[in-house]
Amino acid sequence: MRVPRSERILAYVILIVMAILVLVPVLAGSVTAFKPQIIWVSSPPTWIFEPTLENFEFVFFTRKGWLFLRNSLIISIGSVVMALILGVPAAYAFARFRFRSSKALMQWLISLRMIPPIVVGLPFYAMFLYLERGLGIGLRDTFPGLIITYQTFLLPLVIWMMRGYFAELPAAMEESAMVEGYTRLGALWRVVLPVVWPGIVATAILNFIFAWNEFFLALILAGNRTSTLPMSAGTYIVRTRVEWGNLFSVNLIIMAPIIVLTIILRRQLVKGLTFGILE
Amino acid sequence: MRVVLKDLVKRFANSDRAAVNKINLVIEAGELAVLLGPSGCGKTTTLRMIAGLEQPDSGRITIAERDITNLAPKDRGLAMVFQNFSMYPTMNVYDNIAFPLHAVKMKRGEIDGAVREMARLVNIDHLLGRSVRQVSGGEAQRVALARAMVRRPQVFLMDEPLSNLDAKLRVQLRTEIKRLHQDTGATFIFVTHDQEEAMTLGDKIIVMKDGDIQQVGSPHEVFFAPRNAFVANFVGTPSMNMLHGTVSRGESGGFRLQLPGFDLSLPERFNRGLENMTGSRVIWGIRPEAIKLMPEPGENCVSGEVELVEALGSRDLIFVRVVEQLFGVIVDALESVAVGDTCHLHFAAGQMRLFDADSERSLLPNSL
Ligand SMILES: Nc1ncnc2c1ncn2[C@@H]1O[C@H](COP(=O)(O)OP(=O)(O)O)[C@@H](O)[C@H]1O
Ligand SMILES: [Mg+2]
Repeated sequence: MRVPRSERILAYVILIVMAILVLVPVLAGSVTAFKPQIIWVSSPPTWIFEPTLENFEFVFFTRKGWLFLRNSLIISIGSVVMALILGVPAAYAFARFRFRSSKALMQWLISLRMIPPIVVGLPFYAMFLYLERGLGIGLRDTFPGLIITYQTFLLPLVIWMMRGYFAELPAAMEESAMVEGYTRLGALWRVVLPVVWPGIVATAILNFIFAWNEFFLALILAGNRTSTLPMSAGTYIVRTRVEWGNLFSVNLIIMAPIIVLTIILRRQLVKGLTFGILE
Repeated sequence: MRVVLKDLVKRFANSDRAAVNKINLVIEAGELAVLLGPSGCGKTTTLRMIAGLEQPDSGRITIAERDITNLAPKDRGLAMVFQNFSMYPTMNVYDNIAFPLHAVKMKRGEIDGAVREMARLVNIDHLLGRSVRQVSGGEAQRVALARAMVRRPQVFLMDEPLSNLDAKLRVQLRTEIKRLHQDTGATFIFVTHDQEEAMTLGDKIIVMKDGDIQQVGSPHEVFFAPRNAFVANFVGTPSMNMLHGTVSRGESGGFRLQLPGFDLSLPERFNRGLENMTGSRVIWGIRPEAIKLMPEPGENCVSGEVELVEALGSRDLIFVRVVEQLFGVIVDALESVAVGDTCHLHFAAGQMRLFDADSERSLLPNSL
């Protein structure tokens, strides 16, 4: 499809303006991460200085940033893996089989996405407390506890996205494989999954981003042992002052994997989110 | 292998009538049977039940005397070509054809031999390295055929495999399927809504409507001895001319038929079927090929005006208005009939059909 030159120019102008609006604050802040402490809040702001990594060193080692990074990775990757393992087969079932109240279930799932985290967080906290006291199962401030809690938000997203990909495929694809000697699971594995692979990648990335950025549930349910990066960012804003340089270096650490992931997998992401329409 | 369907019923939820309504059918080993019928008559459902992709509500399916009704599709040892699916998109042509062989854990060397042989058989050996994007619709359908055949199944199911192809390719592949059937000696069950395809392919044609089997017979039988008005109308293009009429006694002991605007004397072979039918309503049918243009009006002859002429090549299909009825008539194109001409139509007595107006059943004894 050829887009007229004038329309393309207009599109670029709009995109550039939007990029400036979004990126300038982020970049200006990010620059601060490399400033020595004395010029964090100089007025007017200093733009020319010798960049330093001392803020990163401070948050990473002195303030145990590596620990929060590790916790965030364990929780995010763990939640995504669990959501995919549970959600992909569920999505396939929703796409291919009609069962009692399957439609209502799908609607319920999407409604889960809409409720604010606090509605979920406090009951989970209470539940974990009872489990701990009643049955001796400790989930507060543990990785499994957070990973399970995150399923409330990740599973519906996985199921909704993946159901769309599965529904696009002709059922004859796996039926053909079933007649040719495979079980339904075998057909799913050998024929369907390779086709929806870009969709799985896109789903995984979106879910990873959600889990990685999640703040509120972690605030309620995590503790010293499982604190995440976003929680640690909060510790640089205290009542009397904001440690700008440290805060922005944590922010950069939080943003880095998302930016890297998106750049590496952007083709799959676009393909997965549009199901190849833009190819 | 012999395929037998016994009292097979399939009813889908949220539908008041059965998609397949207690059908009984025997397909002999090595036969090429064609399920023919209009869209929605239950052909696909029947085929899918044989394949095991749909579970019948009741009834049995046996292949070579073995009851397979409750077997998983993979254990039935048959092959199927689907209407809307031909190639696994993430595999190239070679891997597509090899795919069923991996399921039986065949050795790599043997797989290679089998894949190449099948590809040669359907003339796609030059495409083996191609991906889905690099093959045409017809080629993809050949891949599906090769993949289905590679396990050398004894029963071969095909659900309108040619319906998405253009006319020329369709005719070409039809011939190849017929050849494959002869070469393999397997039992083929072929589904189509195209009666011409059914006639050219089938040893046996099974005409279906609304989940019921209307008639089972050779192409010749369903064409020349339709058991009811539906089969008579559905089989054959252009389709049979059909009129409602009333039976009456003629002076010489034979029967006559009152049709809107004219009447006819009926040939003797109807006498038995019409014994108690004087005054009854019947459906009279005559194929466009069985009507002749006469130079003069005469006995069993009616006159009308040509309203429409369609060229079919060497022949024309003309439509002649006789009172309320428009008769389709096949004439030699060289006769150069024109719109507005007056024609005298003569109906070949030997090719008239009569059906009971209520039951739509043929009023001829079951013979040609
Ligand atoms: N999965 C299904 N769910 C509900 N109804 C169906 C399903 N498949 C087929 N039907 C219905 O069963 C009838 C027969 O369908 P089908 O066997 O596909 O007909 P054909 O192949 O002869 O066109 C149709 O009325 C169709 O709407
Ligand atoms: Mg069909």
